[in-house]
Amino acid sequence: MGSAPAQIPTSFGHELRACLRCRLVKTYDQFRESGCENCTFFKMDEDNERVVDCTTPNFNGIISVMDPTRSWAARWLRISRFVPGCYTLAVSEALPEDLQNLCEDERVQYVPPKR
Amino acid sequence: MPRRRDEEEDMEDDDYEDQYDEEEEEDDRSSRKRRRSDFIDDAAEEDDDEEEDDDEDEDYGGGGGGGGKRPKPKKRGSQFFDLEAQVCMLLFPRKVSQNSEKTNFDGSHFLAFSYFLVLVKKVSLAVIDFIVDGGADIPDDDDGRRMHRRPLLSREDEQEDVEALERRIQARYARSSHTEYDEETTDVEQQALLPSVRDPKLWMVKCAIGREREAAVCLMQKCIDRGPEMQIRSAVALDHLKNYIYVEADKEAHVKEACKGLRNIYSQKVMLVPIREMTDVLSVESKAIDLSRDTWVRMKIGNYKGDLAKVVDVDNVRQRVTVKLIPRIDLQALANKLEGREVAKKKPFVPPPRFMNVDEARELHIRVERRRDQMTGDYFENIGGMLFKDGFLYKTVSMKSISTQNIKPTFDELEKFRSPGENGENDIASLSTLFANRKKGHFMKGDAVIVIKGDLKNLKGWVEKVDEENVHIRPEIKGLPKTLAVNQKELCKYFEPGNHVKVVSGTQEGATGMVVKVEQHVLIILSDTTKEHIRVFADDVVESSEVTTGITKIGDYELHDLVLLDSNSFGVIIRVESEAFQVLKGVPDRPEVALVKLREIKCKLEKKSNVQDKNKNTVSVKDVVRILEGSCKGKQGPVEHIFRGILFIYDRHHLEHAGFICAKATSCVVVGGSRANGGRNGDAYSRFDNLRTPPRIPQSPRRFPRGGPPVDYGGRHRGGRGRHDALIGATVKIRQGPDKGCKGRVLEVKGQSVRVELEARMKVVTGKSLVIWENFFDRSIISDNVEVSTPYRDAPRYGMGSETPMHPSRTPLHPYMTPMRDAGATPIHDGMRTPMRDRAWNPYTPMSPPRDNWEDGNPASWGTSPQYQPGSPPSRAYEAPTPGSGWANTPGGNYSEAGTPRDSSSGYANAPSPYLPSTPGGQPMTPNSASYLPGTPGGQPMTPGTGGLDVMSPAIGSDNEGPWLMPDILVKVHRPGEDSVGVIREVLPDGSYKVILGSSGNGETITSVANEIEIVPPRKNDKIKIMGGAQRGATGKLIGVDGTDGIVKVDDTLDVKILDMVILAKLAQP
Repeated sequence: MGSAPAQIPTSFGHELRACLRCRLVKTYDQFRESGCENCTFFKMDEDNERVVDCTTPNFNGIISVMDPTRSWAARWLRISRFVPGCYTLAVSEALPEDLQNLCEDERVQYVPPKR
Repeated sequence: MPRRRDEEEDMEDDDYEDQYDEEEEEDDRSSRKRRRSDFIDDAAEEDDDEEEDDDEDEDYGGGGGGGGKRPKPKKRGSQFFDLEAQVCMLLFPRKVSQNSEKTNFDGSHFLAFSYFLVLVKKVSLAVIDFIVDGGADIPDDDDGRRMHRRPLLSREDEQEDVEALERRIQARYARSSHTEYDEETTDVEQQALLPSVRDPKLWMVKCAIGREREAAVCLMQKCIDRGPEMQIRSAVALDHLKNYIYVEADKEAHVKEACKGLRNIYSQKVMLVPIREMTDVLSVESKAIDLSRDTWVRMKIGNYKGDLAKVVDVDNVRQRVTVKLIPRIDLQALANKLEGREVAKKKPFVPPPRFMNVDEARELHIRVERRRDQMTGDYFENIGGMLFKDGFLYKTVSMKSISTQNIKPTFDELEKFRSPGENGENDIASLSTLFANRKKGHFMKGDAVIVIKGDLKNLKGWVEKVDEENVHIRPEIKGLPKTLAVNQKELCKYFEPGNHVKVVSGTQEGATGMVVKVEQHVLIILSDTTKEHIRVFADDVVESSEVTTGITKIGDYELHDLVLLDSNSFGVIIRVESEAFQVLKGVPDRPEVALVKLREIKCKLEKKSNVQDKNKNTVSVKDVVRILEGSCKGKQGPVEHIFRGILFIYDRHHLEHAGFICAKATSCVVVGGSRANGGRNGDAYSRFDNLRTPPRIPQSPRRFPRGGPPVDYGGRHRGGRGRHDALIGATVKIRQGPDKGCKGRVLEVKGQSVRVELEARMKVVTGKSLVIWENFFDRSIISDNVEVSTPYRDAPRYGMGSETPMHPSRTPLHPYMTPMRDAGATPIHDGMRTPMRDRAWNPYTPMSPPRDNWEDGNPASWGTSPQYQPGSPPSRAYEAPTPGSGWANTPGGNYSEAGTPRDSSSGYANAPSPYLPSTPGGQPMTPNSASYLPGTPGGQPMTPGTGGLDVMSPAIGSDNEGPWLMPDILVKVHRPGEDSVGVIREVLPDGSYKVILGSSGNGETITSVANEIEIVPPRKNDKIKIMGGAQRGATGKLIGVDGTDGIVKVDDTLDVKILDMVILAKLAQP
């Protein structure tokens, strides 16, 4: 495991949310306290309102990626460049437009979920 | 030596990196940014790692964990070339995509880096050289990689200009990263990521149900804690797959190792996911939840499960929605609850949906608070914590408890949902959510449409062209552009009264009709089939000149079929809807229509039967009848179905129920039927009634004490004639000959022959003579067309004997003969008959004619067939009551053939009582005895065991009824002033019975005559005694009842027999 792993969800229920960009799954509180390890530019830890905008509780399936670079699954899901951690297979919402613009400004890709 | 080189590379790379970083700092980037790019670098390193590991797995293993940085520089270099080597993309999409993905990610980085690269040309060239060398030297590179490099290599060999490289790189990165990304997310690109044999495998591992996510997260945690010793790559928990998780690892052992010690995971059995199924595991459809106001949803759980609801508010953060429902609230129960009274714990039923009536609630002293909602400003009635508005319940539920996919509210549901206060406009708005379910090609060129939303609302026009989303319409109003593009969701089909349309979806699908009224989006159509008004959405119909009856068939059932719904209800299908039938039930008093599902129909009733009308004329299907009573009095039409005395008459002038009228046969007359037979033929019903309450005094002429046979004869003759008429049209069963067992309708009666139209064979046969067995049951009259021989025998007896006996004996006679021929079959028949006869005097009358027929036949038969003679002698025997001799003397000589019975008969004649039981048939009740009866009118002979049969005892008057009753059966005794239940103890020689009152036979013992006694009809599972037929006297269990037939399991033989219910009596429980 090359890089430091993301926080691991502390519960498995409704509190879980997934980052709309990188699909990292953590609890709402975790996002609020330390933001998203992959998408630090969202600054969720600084602006807690962002958590709601940047994450969603509507996601489908969880994948714990221990070794993103060597995992086929991570590659297939295009999360192999992210830190190890728990991700979701799919989110069902798109990032709000202003945040998509933010991604563009930051020169990071954002892929809206396929419908 | 590759390794060595690598290390050198590494060092150089680090140098670059440092410089790059410095450059970044010079660019005055924030430290945060820097950190990020560092991270990205790290990620890139990881990628490199991966590549390396994939390619040189063994090498990696041998090289230890420290090799992480080793391959990086090479990789980085190659990436640049990858960018250039577009050609390779087609050949090796997978590799390229991986790499370019990386490139994208680090776009900015590389852009900067490339500049840098250009600046320090020399160095970069050196790097390139390095790579070229390295690439060439790496022996265990995979093919793809090698192929990759070769072109690059050659290009380098051609001394490609660095400036050109720079230009290319710039051109590449000038494009926005987004567009590049888009390129990459095409399906083709994704295909490039398909697993190969070199990739780790997916293993399926069992885990605790409901702990799938937890298991995956635990594995993650464990890997973090344990570090690199854990060899698994990822763990997947799917929402839709319970009880299993997937673990990605190279080896099964890795999976087991990782799962060791986790109590939620059961790794005893690890299953490998086939490589081609790997992508299926990870492809989940993102559930597109787009809940918005006015969306129709259905409740998934609770009392409202399946109910339609409309979203009024969505709280995406808390994952809750507020929906509007038609409440299912039992106000009484609510009142009880609110007042703290005891509430039944289990819910006995789900209350039907009903709008909340606040006044009603108040009447039950339920506190209703009217409050204003802070957010919306609307007023709600709060009842026990529930919010109501306009009668609707507003309920806030979790998004998970509603289903949002493929919600297609039915017309009825939507109609119900339309609260009284709501006007059509809102309706249309909510209707628009329905339009999401429209199929492709909903609008067709030429359709008349109306705009229902937006600025152009209410604009009418015609469809000119249909795009994906937009429909180009030609507006009706002049002065507008020639065509307008309107979103199809803002359009609704438009019809005008007078249009002839066809319904293409919904419950009325398939129906056609004329539009008679247009109410907003709802059309009222006059159906071509039913001539009824149907309400449909304008959206569900298309203009069509087609006239169909709609669907007329579901499964085996077709419009106008007579169907059985349950054991006591039946009806005619008067309308076929898409999933259900409308059935006009066979209830004569008032029209009762039921909506039944396919599965609720038991079977189709195709049995043709006849009944008798008010004037005792036979009514059969297709006869035209007039209704004399009830609400449909005066109507007339052909009979379509007859069942259990109910006629279904089709009157095309009758506008309801598809023209069907249900009436009792007895309240109709056959048009053109005569009244001549009136009173003669008891119809099935009256007979049935008679069964229940047997009139006490037999009226039939035959009862007359036997006079001289000739007289009787004559009498019978008369009766016979009358009978003939009645016989025509009756359904008979042929008892002998090639057509034995066939049923048919009597077409003509001529002397002793009848012409019978057989139902089954579609042919007409002529029987030489016949014996009529009348059945009292609604299965209608069965007369048996018998080969000459048998009947005659009987007849003579009748004639010769006293008439009275005939009734009782009638049946027996048959058996009498039959036993000789075929003992089994016939007796049952007579068994069936006898009881009826006994019970019902009236029926008697109608029955008599058959007898007459026989008699008619007799003389002839005598003459014609010797077989008859055996029969005839007995009659003589009567007259000269030395049966034995009579038998012996009979000219026919046949009697010897019928030896057995004769023995018995003679014996019987001599010492009647003892014989009877011993009659040859072995059946105590054998017809023989009965046949003797004529001589000994008691009829009791049939009741064996009574012992004291006095042949001569003139019990005639009453015995007709009695003889078939047997000891040990449960009976109802009607005595003046009281009816009581008793058990027959003994049958007395005089035809009366000794009955012990009380159901278990422990009460007072009385003597009662037959007419006071009625058997207690057994019910299913009762122990019974068979009182007639071959099995007479046997006991059994009634295991089922099918109409008038009882299914009996006989105790002794364990045979299952189907016997007429009338010959079954409930056995008294000892």
